[in-house]
Amino acid sequence: MDKEKVKQIVLDIIAEIAPDEDLNDVKSDIRLRDQLDLDSMDFLDIVMELRKQHGIDVPEAEYRELESLDSCANYLLPKFEAGAAA
Amino acid sequence: MPTSTPKHSSTEVLIIGAGLAGLAAATRLAMFGKKVILLEKHYVVGGLNSFYAKEGRKFDVGLHALTNYPSPSSGKSSPLLKLCRQLRLPLDKLDLLPQSSSRITFGSQSLCFNNNFDYFLSQVAEIFPKSIDSFSSFLRKMEEFPAYSVDAEELSTRTILKNSGIDPLLGEMLLCPTCYYGSARPNDIDFPTFIMLFDAIFKQGLSRPAAGIRAILDPLTQKLKDLGVTRRMNCGVQSILTKDELTTGVILESGETIEAEQIISTCGIRETENLLKKEVIESPTVETGQFSIIESIRVFDGHPRDFGWDETVVFFNQSEQFNYNCPDSLVDLQSGVICIPDNYGANQGNKEAKLRVTHPANFSQWSALSQDEYRSEKNSWEKTILESAMHYLPNGNNLLPQLIKKTLMTDTFTPTTVKRFTSHINGTLYGSPTKRRDGATKYKNLYLAGTDQGYVGIVGAMLGGIAVANNQILRKG
Repeated sequence: MDKEKVKQIVLDIIAEIAPDEDLNDVKSDIRLRDQLDLDSMDFLDIVMELRKQHGIDVPEAEYRELESLDSCANYLLPKFEAGAAA
Repeated sequence: MPTSTPKHSSTEVLIIGAGLAGLAAATRLAMFGKKVILLEKHYVVGGLNSFYAKEGRKFDVGLHALTNYPSPSSGKSSPLLKLCRQLRLPLDKLDLLPQSSSRITFGSQSLCFNNNFDYFLSQVAEIFPKSIDSFSSFLRKMEEFPAYSVDAEELSTRTILKNSGIDPLLGEMLLCPTCYYGSARPNDIDFPTFIMLFDAIFKQGLSRPAAGIRAILDPLTQKLKDLGVTRRMNCGVQSILTKDELTTGVILESGETIEAEQIISTCGIRETENLLKKEVIESPTVETGQFSIIESIRVFDGHPRDFGWDETVVFFNQSEQFNYNCPDSLVDLQSGVICIPDNYGANQGNKEAKLRVTHPANFSQWSALSQDEYRSEKNSWEKTILESAMHYLPNGNNLLPQLIKKTLMTDTFTPTTVKRFTSHINGTLYGSPTKRRDGATKYKNLYLAGTDQGYVGIVGAMLGGIAVANNQILRKG
């Protein structure tokens, strides 16, 4: 697992949640909200899909860690690695 | 085949009512692994927005229009898109047919609208030129008001309109479609609901799935089946069980007990209180809703265009003063709504078409009739309603004999029918004037969703169910 893979996982989830969004040109360092039409319901779904598909828990207080692909990668990578090690 | 069901079962979430709010909440919860039992008292799903068949023809109960059409001008802001995302229901599967155009007629004055908001604005400017500035300020006031927030203040729209400086007739005309599509309050509508409906009807617009309400109900029930939700029909709840500040489950009318960690009730505030045998929320008074309708449906040979009728929905009122109340008589002919569902979609070449006419009606008076009286009142009102509606369709009075000649069948449903589909006290369309937007009750694991959450219409009911599932259950883990 590396950061690029984590970003791809998040993008795949967004593609599932918001099939009407064009994800070809998403910038890693810009807030997802600023480049895509995503609202708080969609972010809840990213969290719920991470739990369902990958067993990763994101507490509500830490939802803001998912604001961009870069921050997702930084925040989620250790969780993926911890999951793989367990 | 097993002949008896177990007398005790248990689940994580129990949902009372398979209307649109219940179906949407069940879908969300099951998508993320919750064990859900969905109970429905009637034998079909959909609640107010259900369907039935008669003489081999399919009818929708509530659906005049699906509001919130994601038109090119309303773009991605339509809540209908959010709803489709949340339920993983592709929008194109709904096969939406946009309205042609619709009209509000008060006395001799008419205001038309379609799915382009600029057209509506130009109509207002043309017919009420002196109100252009005050109407612009009113639009701004609506935009600035936090209508979509759960704690939006329920101000009187009538008072706000009166103080807005816009022509009183324009105010009355705006109240008509908004009240008919979602007000539980007598002769008024609370401001947040007014704004949501104004956006839904005028800014976004009207459409109809080509297959009617089943375009929404069928994929959802299929999804629930795939997700392993237990759906039980003909399954009324007798009471909700409580212990201190928690609910523990329900007893069904059959005597069976189901234990549940959490309960979502979509049957209404007062109706839920009846199941609890005590009050659900802290507020001192929960009002009982009164508003119900009669709807007369006529199936005729040909296309509405053969009669020169190309509009989709007509909201009408005899005078310049709109009166939205439970009438003192069986039916109030002073105002109503005509819907011609076959005028959704540009060139549908249907062989037969429907004309639906809706008026306010009095539940207690209809339910007090004997079977014979009921049948005879229904027949005589069917005729009266049709004659009255013809005043509001182009050349209607002259075309009436031809329409009667081409009629293939008629059907009329009354407030008692609404009660059968919804279980609402008084057969109300929109429940109690007291709303609970966040769905919370004084029981920590009992939530209200649907009508008495105050998000109305098909889209509103479903988003309400989704919000309760998300905020009260999924977010909490």
